[in-house]
Amino acid sequence: MAASPFASRSPSMTVASPNTAIRLKASAAQSGSGSTADVKTSTQPNGELTEQLNDSVAHNYERGKKLGEGTYAVVYQGFRRDTATTVAIKKIKVNADYKDGLAMDAIREVKYLQELSHPNVIALHDVFSKHENLHLVLEFLPGGDLEMLIRDQDVQYGAADIKAWMGMLARGVWFCHENYVLHRDIKPNNLLIAADGEVKLADFGLARSFADPYLNMTHQVITRWYRPPELLYGARQYSGAVDVWSMGMVFAELLLRVPFVAGNTDLDQISKICEAFGTPTEDNWPGVTKLPYFIETDSSQIIPTSGRDFFSRQFPTAGPVGADLLMSMCTLDPRKRITAVQALRHKWWTIDPQPTKNEDLPQKRHAEKKMAEDMSRRGGEVNDGPFKNAARQLDFGAR
Amino acid sequence: MTSKGIDRRDEDEVCPVCKSSRYLNPNMRFLINPECYHKMCESCVDRIFSSGPSNCPVAGCRKTLRKNRFRAQTFEDIGVEREVDIRRRVMQILNRREEEFDTKRNYDDFLEQREEIIANLVSRTNEAKTNAQLAKYATENEQSIRTNLALEEQEATSFQARMTLEQEEAQRRRQIARQEYENERREIQAGREDFLSRLASGTTADANTIARESSKVHLKKSSARRSEEDRIRLKQAALRGSETKRGTPLSNSEIAGGADSGLIKGLKKIKTPEPEKPYDPFMGLVPEQRDYFTLRESYPSTFLERQRQNVQGSAGGYDLREYYSRTMLEAFAGLGVFVGEEVSKREEEKSVLPTATEGAAIAAVSEK
Repeated sequence: MAASPFASRSPSMTVASPNTAIRLKASAAQSGSGSTADVKTSTQPNGELTEQLNDSVAHNYERGKKLGEGTYAVVYQGFRRDTATTVAIKKIKVNADYKDGLAMDAIREVKYLQELSHPNVIALHDVFSKHENLHLVLEFLPGGDLEMLIRDQDVQYGAADIKAWMGMLARGVWFCHENYVLHRDIKPNNLLIAADGEVKLADFGLARSFADPYLNMTHQVITRWYRPPELLYGARQYSGAVDVWSMGMVFAELLLRVPFVAGNTDLDQISKICEAFGTPTEDNWPGVTKLPYFIETDSSQIIPTSGRDFFSRQFPTAGPVGADLLMSMCTLDPRKRITAVQALRHKWWTIDPQPTKNEDLPQKRHAEKKMAEDMSRRGGEVNDGPFKNAARQLDFGAR
Repeated sequence: MTSKGIDRRDEDEVCPVCKSSRYLNPNMRFLINPECYHKMCESCVDRIFSSGPSNCPVAGCRKTLRKNRFRAQTFEDIGVEREVDIRRRVMQILNRREEEFDTKRNYDDFLEQREEIIANLVSRTNEAKTNAQLAKYATENEQSIRTNLALEEQEATSFQARMTLEQEEAQRRRQIARQEYENERREIQAGREDFLSRLASGTTADANTIARESSKVHLKKSSARRSEEDRIRLKQAALRGSETKRGTPLSNSEIAGGADSGLIKGLKKIKTPEPEKPYDPFMGLVPEQRDYFTLRESYPSTFLERQRQNVQGSAGGYDLREYYSRTMLEAFAGLGVFVGEEVSKREEEKSVLPTATEGAAIAAVSEK
């Protein structure tokens, strides 16, 4: 157990005062020795502090049935022993790529999720290790995800519902940015829905902090369809504007019920973006030609930037004001793109129709499987074909 | 009715305005206006008021009358006519229902008050004041007056429907009863004939058994009929029950608004649902709130000079202002947070909730 360096990452530890160990021992002694973990701690009073802490956290949770398995994690349903609240327990797989340690995704997820506490960001309750595996205790979100609602032809939703969902998404993104965290993988798949209808930003496997000068970040983030042009052009220094672009793409997808710009390759994605929003030039995006992977377009094929009419025509459901918000989210130049705060201050939120109340939003019941699928997927991964990972998706344990 | 008698008495009736009498004009109709209740004949009304509102032609009365308000008299006594009008008007305004009052006593008080107002208006005591009171009440309680009016109308129509239904039902019942009586009579007749013929054809030894059998058959039939009658009665009762059930939501579906008005006491307090708050996109959080510093647009630093010149970075969306804001926030983060206080608060919470675990308590503190 001493080999688990992340036990100390448990949120319980971050706020604990120096006398934690004393209180912990006392509580362990109080709570009796009925169960195995307690026996273990009480029989090994000399165990390391981190180990004791880890055991006490691990003992808090009971693991239930397996909900799903993905490339980098297995998700179980679980519950807290004392309060009997249902949680999702995500067991990080010991991956071949990271023999000596842990997957970057898991570290990122723990690092940023434990700092963020907001109704529209998935809650990380605890972290513990058991049998050399890292377990994340996450909020249980049985409502599935937004993608499921977008794809399901039986689900009908309107402008008010879209406004409610977008509001929750924008609040989550804004809260992350306010705390200088980039999500870098916003897509309908990662927008999980709680039992009460609240949309929660999940999967922080690609998240990182931003705004450091001279620090290059990778441009290979965000699922392709939701990737902004600056990342496609290989920018190594960027800002919250990348998440805002993804938000705009989700907005467009909610309105159209199909992905708006869905390229097959990165190059295809660039050309689709140019077709839809116009070709980036030095005029509408100063400095764009200096970006590493910028491709000069022949001057005869330059498509002018699409204006307000284009968005109003393409997205009649949003109304002219909603189309204006979408347009400002999809501005090519990241500096001219609206920020999350500005987006929340847009007048679209206050005009009619009022956003639907959470309890009246269209919902799917019992979509735990979908949640597990989303949680266990590696960031930036797309389900390309119907047979991708088919072997992994076969659930031999299913009844 | 006794139209002949009226005619005879009206023979010498004279229009007080044009002095023409019914003797000369047998088709003469008299009209009144609820403004002053002065009677005049139809031709006078046409003559005087066709070209718009005008003063009452009766000497000493200066009321301005309009043609469309003229109507035939219902009651012979003008005083009764006037009282009925006043009553109708007041009832329409003070149309509170019993369900709207806290107690029966309050409702009775309200009824008494209403009668008092009507009496005042009829006898012209405090007329101006009472009228003002009424007008004030009407404007203040416009909504509830309208809903109660609608309810009354609904009740009236449903009552009418029920009445016609009941009448039809009664008619059908009568018909069934008549038919049954007829059937019974015919059966008895047939039974008797059968009995006689069997007696005639049978031997003397059978006579007693045949007589017993026939009486038994008769009994059986009558009991069967009784049970049939019971069944019908039960069915009707059930039907009536379902009807009243259907009727109840009518009286319950009130959307009356407004609490005690100045005029009427003892009204039930009606909770008006809290007005919906406007949508707050930030849900209560305050964006960009900085307690300890104000952010400047730019901070001179040689360290950052190269980043400022970096075209690639700024083309990718990198903004030094975010760096300033983050650095300043992190520099001032934690100011005003006292760990000691939080710990003691946490200990208190633990003592209050002995079952709450360490994790929950910590979570509760860290949420604040």
